[in-house]
Amino acid sequence: MVHALREAHRVLKPGGLLLDLRPGAVHRRVGIEVDGQYEQLTVMNEKLNDDYAANRAVTQVIQQGFFKPISRIQFNCDRTMTLKDLEVWLEDFPSDRQAAKERLVQIVTNAYKSRKGKKKIVAKGPLVLKVLRKEENA
Amino acid sequence: MTIRVDPERNEISALKQIGPWRGKKVLEIGCGEGRLTLRLARLGPELIQAIDPSVDLIRSAQKNLPERLAKHVHYQVGSAEDLKYPSNTFDILVFSWVL
Repeated sequence: MVHALREAHRVLKPGGLLLDLRPGAVHRRVGIEVDGQYEQLTVMNEKLNDDYAANRAVTQVIQQGFFKPISRIQFNCDRTMTLKDLEVWLEDFPSDRQAAKERLVQIVTNAYKSRKGKKKIVAKGPLVLKVLRKEENA
Repeated sequence: MTIRVDPERNEISALKQIGPWRGKKVLEIGCGEGRLTLRLARLGPELIQAIDPSVDLIRSAQKNLPERLAKHVHYQVGSAEDLKYPSNTFDILVFSWVL
């Protein structure tokens, strides 16, 4: 990760901006929206180790003088999906928590089948945009 | 699959806040199928070079690229660890959900 950040430093022009855009290191909330009304059903228990490692890598290249932090913006980022898509989406998360995934799918499936109206599944979590400026004195 | 990411478009609003994109040379790392790339292209950069390690995703991104943007958006298979570009090339570099 640090190597990728140094490569980024190399290809940026002097004073160029590096934008680190990714989900915040918090557990996502999963719920159901029925006729425009959102109801939270559960919170995911996904591993956040990779997020912490990425944060450490960014901190490291800042401390080494490659970049200077300029700003940090946090905002909501929803994902809307059908019941079928939920299982596909969950495949993106580490597989050693299969039981937790199955429990989550069961909770959402039960809620989805019991509600009447126009409905969709919504996963909520913040996105974080960190803006760093290339420094020349590394 | 019909997963919609960021239907409220908060992501592109935040990216707009960082300053002018018009005329800039941008490298997007981890472009996937080009979802964010196409949103960035509307901000008016001179060039977006978008890379992803997946051949399949790059093919899909190229297929989804509108002809009117083809001059400004270039997709390529590539890795963040080994960027095939000269030093001091880009004004803005975006790590798109990859770090």
